[in-house]
Amino acid sequence: MVPITGPYNMRPPIMKVNVEDSMDIMIVRDTARRASSLLGFTPAHRAQLATAAATLAELVLKTGDAHTINLNGVVNGIKIGLQISSETPWLTGVSSNNILVALRSKLGDLVDEILLIGENPPTILVVMWLDSTRAQANIDDDSE
Amino acid sequence: MALEVLLVEDSKTQAAQIKETLESVGLRVRVAYDGPEGIRDALDNPPALVVLDVKLPTMDGFQVCRRLKRNPATQDIPVIMLTEKAGPKATMSGLRAGADDYIPKDIFASEHLIGTLQELGILE
Repeated sequence: MVPITGPYNMRPPIMKVNVEDSMDIMIVRDTARRASSLLGFTPAHRAQLATAAATLAELVLKTGDAHTINLNGVVNGIKIGLQISSETPWLTGVSSNNILVALRSKLGDLVDEILLIGENPPTILVVMWLDSTRAQANIDDDSE
Repeated sequence: MALEVLLVEDSKTQAAQIKETLESVGLRVRVAYDGPEGIRDALDNPPALVVLDVKLPTMDGFQVCRRLKRNPATQDIPVIMLTEKAGPKATMSGLRAGADDYIPKDIFASEHLIGTLQELGILE
C-alpha cells in the first residue's frame, strides 16, 4: 500500500499497523508511543498521541473491516510532527463537515490538526506538532 | 541507595504485579491502598516517583494527582498514572491533573512504565 502523504512532507519514522481485532488497538497504541518517542515527544504527549491513534483505530474497527493505521513523521517548514492516518472507505459520500465535527468532538483535545483529504475514499489525518513544550530534553537527532 | 517509589493502587493483586516490575529494575516500592493514604505518605516521606491508579476508593487518581501537583512539597515529584480508563476524556483528565505520563494497563504497560522511568531520569 502506498503511504498516505497528506499536505505535509513525510519523514521517518514511517510505521503502519493493520487493524483487524481489539488486540490490534493495543498494538496501534504501542506503535504511536514508539513513533512519538523517536520524534522526541515527552511521555505526556506520547500518551496523548497514543490515545488519538487508539481512538482512530477503534473507529476503524467498528466498521467491521480490516484497515490500516499509518503513523509517520511529517515536516512543515521547520516544524516536525507525527501524523496518524487511515483511509475510510465507509465514509465515502458522507458530508465532510459532519465527519470533521464528529472527529473534533472525539479527538480535538488530543491533536493539533484533524484533516479529511480525498473523496474516494476519504482519508482521516491527525497531526500533533512538536514544539519546545512538547519535546523531551536531550533528544539525539540521529536516534532513528 | 535505591530510589523509592510510592505506588497508590487499591487492588492487592495489581499492586503486587506493578511492585514486582518496579523492583525488577532496582527500585524500592511502598504501597498505599487509597488516595488519602497516598497523599499522606507522599507528604510524610516524599518519594522519587508516584505511580498512581485512576480508579481508587474515596478519592480517584485524578484528584490525588491534582492534590500532589498543587502542594509545593510534592509538586515536583513525577506522577505516572496507570489506568484501565484510556479513552480521550480520561487521558486528558490525567494529563491536565499534572500527570507526567498516562499508561493503560495492557500487555505493554510494564515496558512503557520502564521506558518512562528512564526518560524521567528515575532509571539510568
